[in-house]
Amino acid sequence: MTETAVPKRRRTSGHPDSPSIAPEIAPDKTPHPAPRPKDAPRTMKDIRIARLGKRKASPKADDNPLREGLRLERIPDPNTLVLFGSTGDLAHRKVIPALYQLWRTNLLPHEFVVLAIGRRPYDDESLRKDFRESAEKYSRVLPLDEAAWRSFSSRIRYQRCDFDDPSAFDNLVTTLDAIDKEQGVHGGGRGNHLYYLATQPSAFAEIVGQLGRVGLDHEHHDGGWRRIVIEKPFGHDLISAIKLNREVGKVFRESQVYRIDHYLGKETVRNLLVFRFGNGIFEPIWNRRHIDHIQITVAESIGVENRGNFYEETGASRDFLQNHLLQLMSLVAMEPPATFDADALRDEKVKVIRAIGELSPEMIRSDVVRGQYGPGWVAAKPVKGYRQEPDVDPESETETFVAARFEVDDWRWSGVPFYLRTGKRLPKRASEIAIQFKEVPHRLFRDSSTEPDPNLLAIRIQPDEGIMLRFGAKVPGLGIDVRSVTMDFTYGSAFTVDSPDAYETLILDALLGDASLFTRADEVEGAWARVTPIIDEWMDEPEPDFPNYEAGTWGPERADELLAREGRRWRRI
Amino acid sequence: MATDLGAGPVAPAAPARPNEPVLRWRSRAHSIEEVEQELGRIWAQTNLGIDLNNDGVNDERHVGARTSVMNLVVIARRPEVGERCAAIIQKLTGRHPSRTTIVQPADPDGPSWLDAHIVAHCIMPRADSPETCAETIHLTCGGESGRHLDAVIAPLLIHDLPVTIWWPDEPPFGTPQANDLLATADRLVVDGSTWHGTGLTQLRRMAAAAQRYPIAVFDFAMVRQSRWREAIAAIFDIPDFLPYLRHIRRIAVTYGVRDEFGAESANIVKPLYHAAWIGSRLGMHVVKPLGAVTAGGPRRPTGKPSALANAGAGLGATLRLDRTDVSVVVRPVMSEMPPGTTLRVELLADWRGSELRADVTAEQEAVHVRVWQDGVHALERGFNAPRRTELDLLAEAIEAGGRDPVAVGTLALAAELAGGTAE
Repeated sequence: MTETAVPKRRRTSGHPDSPSIAPEIAPDKTPHPAPRPKDAPRTMKDIRIARLGKRKASPKADDNPLREGLRLERIPDPNTLVLFGSTGDLAHRKVIPALYQLWRTNLLPHEFVVLAIGRRPYDDESLRKDFRESAEKYSRVLPLDEAAWRSFSSRIRYQRCDFDDPSAFDNLVTTLDAIDKEQGVHGGGRGNHLYYLATQPSAFAEIVGQLGRVGLDHEHHDGGWRRIVIEKPFGHDLISAIKLNREVGKVFRESQVYRIDHYLGKETVRNLLVFRFGNGIFEPIWNRRHIDHIQITVAESIGVENRGNFYEETGASRDFLQNHLLQLMSLVAMEPPATFDADALRDEKVKVIRAIGELSPEMIRSDVVRGQYGPGWVAAKPVKGYRQEPDVDPESETETFVAARFEVDDWRWSGVPFYLRTGKRLPKRASEIAIQFKEVPHRLFRDSSTEPDPNLLAIRIQPDEGIMLRFGAKVPGLGIDVRSVTMDFTYGSAFTVDSPDAYETLILDALLGDASLFTRADEVEGAWARVTPIIDEWMDEPEPDFPNYEAGTWGPERADELLAREGRRWRRI
Repeated sequence: MATDLGAGPVAPAAPARPNEPVLRWRSRAHSIEEVEQELGRIWAQTNLGIDLNNDGVNDERHVGARTSVMNLVVIARRPEVGERCAAIIQKLTGRHPSRTTIVQPADPDGPSWLDAHIVAHCIMPRADSPETCAETIHLTCGGESGRHLDAVIAPLLIHDLPVTIWWPDEPPFGTPQANDLLATADRLVVDGSTWHGTGLTQLRRMAAAAQRYPIAVFDFAMVRQSRWREAIAAIFDIPDFLPYLRHIRRIAVTYGVRDEFGAESANIVKPLYHAAWIGSRLGMHVVKPLGAVTAGGPRRPTGKPSALANAGAGLGATLRLDRTDVSVVVRPVMSEMPPGTTLRVELLADWRGSELRADVTAEQEAVHVRVWQDGVHALERGFNAPRRTELDLLAEAIEAGGRDPVAVGTLALAAELAGGTAE
């Protein structure tokens, strides 16, 4: 007889010859003053045995043991993705191609529907046709797989909806009920809904409020989850972010909210966590004793394209500094989380953001540099200045470049500057984190004809995802000449599997209920608390001397001075 | 003089193009010491670039990196096998730069001799990226040295890097030669579906070796089935079908044979892995190993699965899940597909008086799933999942790290179904 045949709940832990069946309630020499319920455990042993029995009796209902070892240990529950802003640029360029790719690679459940919501007069077929054109242009893997596209697009439905029209949301309830019922035909219907807000930010609060009004936020005890994905920008300053968080919080619990910063879905950003916490050799030197400073660059060679209106209201600080750059900084500077679950990770990130020293007006003037591009040359082509771009005010004071020096006031990083820069119309598209280590304490090879640079670890995020380590090596020959050499790891040349697009990663995570790579309300507010004073200070300053850098250069001269005054320079990218 | 005339850097006919391996070095040696010298010569070159126009200017790009990530040892008993493996490995140069040693034992009689061709291929992932290079040593060993391959290979391994042995033919498990080699390896790559006969004897021996040595076994025959496994697992992702999973009563796997005589000789490693995977994932154990199926059920096992009588009717076994028996049937049908190819996996489950039947089939580019619940058609789904090439499989074998517990469990149960591990 195997062990499993013996009811564990009743086994004793005594001598092997002792009776294996214990009484329901262990005999007790001192009767209890008040009788307990019949099956309530009384002693530590009873509790332990009862727990053991309970564990044995009820394996986790949602475990599929056949999933172990496959690409995904589980796939998302049957669900409907309600895509608000489905006729917009983001839906066409990113969301639909990502969903198609997930579908093509069998990572979505069979019972899956995209309910596309928009204001324009489409029907199912015309929207599918438009989506197909976008997928043909923006999909990561081309050409499209005909059969996969057919089965994916058959799951797309369109519903016209004005966000400020309450009756449209009443209709939405009816539609979703019908879809849930349809999905339930095959036994998978549990009414799981993911609301994806790919709309203008101004519509976020309205949509959330309407979803709450019609009860589409309510989660059901039988498993029907409701989640909401909100695209950046989340607010335009601290006050608006708090207000939006409050509006969202009135309807959805924080655990239902997934605020997207697509940078966090990039492979190298995720690898940063593995690199730091999955390797033993880096963490001991990841601190003020060994690191001189850190540079984080997110450079774009493109201008504002056709988003002049949007960019006029945001600028580089709201568009990149508040989110991408501070997120990258928090990942570099955070302490190791105790576990890899969403809240443990985000708790550590928030601590970093809170530890960023507040910048006084004087510090903002000295440690933050803003710029705006004028005409110039990028990639051997002449380009317009920002003020000449469509939908941009010819006298615009919007910054297209920002560089800042921050410090993290904690034990690990005290005194280590973090230099962050981002801009448009820079010479190339490149994002990277460079960890500059300190000089060796004693120059042993002082007779070398060249002075080797200090060690540097560069984590490239795009376009060429990888990690590079620079160190000194002896030049072959009779003398002792030391030169800097690099050791380069490129993602594309080490793994055969293509990296998924950030949106594929993030949408799949949201469908699986994993919020690790999404920003929490306190993170967003913390980041705004650092950036809003900068923007406010600029408002109080006299008119900036814009444009102050030529397109195709690395920003205004003052950005170089920011480092030069401390004997440092931006890394050549 | 160790090397042949003209040995050394090779001038390519045309400039390198992205993702196309280019031969950069070729030389020859006749002893292990000479091979080591040649390897030293290759990597002493700071630049394997070539002056195409003989004008003193390097027209070709510099070798940017030599980044070996592993030692790959291929044991090829026939020259054509070695060539096929070399061609596959060459395509992986940029992705998995390894020191590859392709060993071909020759005539075991007579004095020991060794002939080695050493080549280096470089590849650039993109036009603006540095090249990555890796070396391949083609070794032919005759006489006594052919019987001590571990002694030939050991000096040529790069220190500290994992050793993968790819044995494309049939490894002689249990022999001193195989044992010595497996003792030096971290990973063994085989294709059980190419083994002679039913392949079950070899499978049992391999399972024994996997227990004896701390090696990770990567069987192409098992990995090829991952598309089936994804599709089968997806059935039970549906919450209403999940409860049936622990109440499976029958697993039937159908495989192809070319003619009525093929049933006795077709390799059934692949179909058996299907049953073993499901069984091991659900914690089943073997009650009766495979035996010939008779009208009344599985025939009593003979202990020699490859010599089972009446194989044409298929083989049957009994597994046990909790306290209930699960019948396993592996049966042949006539098909144009290569013998031993899995054609269909059927599952039958019975839970609280309700029956679930799942039927999974595959073709070149897709796997199809159909499910009936109490006789009512409940699900039909196609999964885009192309059949994988040997190149894909080798790439995955190289990328996979450590022992995969799913593979370990599957192999162990497959061996038990085949009659238990065998030395």
